[in-house]
Amino acid sequence: MSEFEASLSLIVLFSLFANTAIALYGVFSKPNLVKKLISMTILSDTANAFAIVIGYRAWPSPEESPVPPVLTNISGGYAAVQELVQKSVDPFPQALVLTAVVIGLAVTIFLASIILHYHRTHGTVEMVVSG
Amino acid sequence: MASRYLIAASIALVVVSLSFAVAYGALGTAVPLENIRSLARAYVTLAYAPWNRTLTAMSPEAVTSIVWDFRGVDTFFETTVLFGAIIGTVTLFRGIKPSARIGEGLSIIARSAAAVTAPMILAVAAAIALHGHLTPGGGFQGGATAAVVALVILVTFSLGYLVSGLSKERALMLRSAGLLGIAAVALIPLILGGVVFQNQAKELSQFSYPAYIGGALTSGSLLFYNLFESLAVAAGLTLTIMLLLSPHEVVEEAVRGEEHERV
Repeated sequence: MSEFEASLSLIVLFSLFANTAIALYGVFSKPNLVKKLISMTILSDTANAFAIVIGYRAWPSPEESPVPPVLTNISGGYAAVQELVQKSVDPFPQALVLTAVVIGLAVTIFLASIILHYHRTHGTVEMVVSG
Repeated sequence: MASRYLIAASIALVVVSLSFAVAYGALGTAVPLENIRSLARAYVTLAYAPWNRTLTAMSPEAVTSIVWDFRGVDTFFETTVLFGAIIGTVTLFRGIKPSARIGEGLSIIARSAAAVTAPMILAVAAAIALHGHLTPGGGFQGGATAAVVALVILVTFSLGYLVSGLSKERALMLRSAGLLGIAAVALIPLILGGVVFQNQAKELSQFSYPAYIGGALTSGSLLFYNLFESLAVAAGLTLTIMLLLSPHEVVEEAVRGEEHERV
């Protein structure tokens, strides 16, 4: 891995942690429920991106660019599969993230409808802060 | 004010310790991990392997093979969470009937553009869902894309226009049909002498979905799972969009009516 690529991946990792910090700050300290919801979606998206990044670890040949874990040459037989194994990224984190994204969408809709009802009954989306 | 500093300090502590844990392997693993690649190697090798029929998923797409074959039960419970959330939303909006009164909608330009693009989006969604076992994509992604069509129609035409074509009950029915399809595909192997969620034949249970239908690679059960999942996701998301965007007065009335009954 070249120096430039190494620093690039460091930047990616650092920004993911910075994102986590911003999202946690939003969830903890904003009294507005909509802002809390937005922060939570940022947190879950950061976690998903982090999982994808982990899929690129222990890369067998860092000099070559990665390929998706999809076999494009079906008639290539065993040799084609072995070639793909050498080059492809880890498919497992992607499979987990795939479902996590859709579930995140559904949970976001659920929380949004709770907040909507809160607004309808109380006329506000602010939480009451005591003290 | 002191609590604010405490919160800031705790967030900083959590993030720093988390990054330390990930960077230096404080979770009890050596860095670099010895065998992080072997699992990925196994998945990619076995995703499409006609020469190893008792272990393969017969799909050139490794991600879909993991989602619906190698770790199918995981996906089953993840789907359960998804539909629990949708059922929760429907329950929160119980008693609310989106009115089928067709509104004016946007301008003729916007409506024409939507009328042209909506079938195209639907075609892309179908392609994503039905080719999920061959190319990147699958039931979740295809279903979410199809739900965009409902959103486009809702915004450009009106909620009433959408409801007059696809009522709340019909969307619920479609969603349930998709879920029943998934359950059927998962349980058919059990009835015919295999195990739950079985795709291809294994050493100890010989049941196998056909990997090829009419010469086309269908990867056994993966095609059916993607088909039904996309149906269920599209209908479920459309339903929640319909409920979330129903007019204020309708919801207000339903909520008030319930209070009166309670008194």
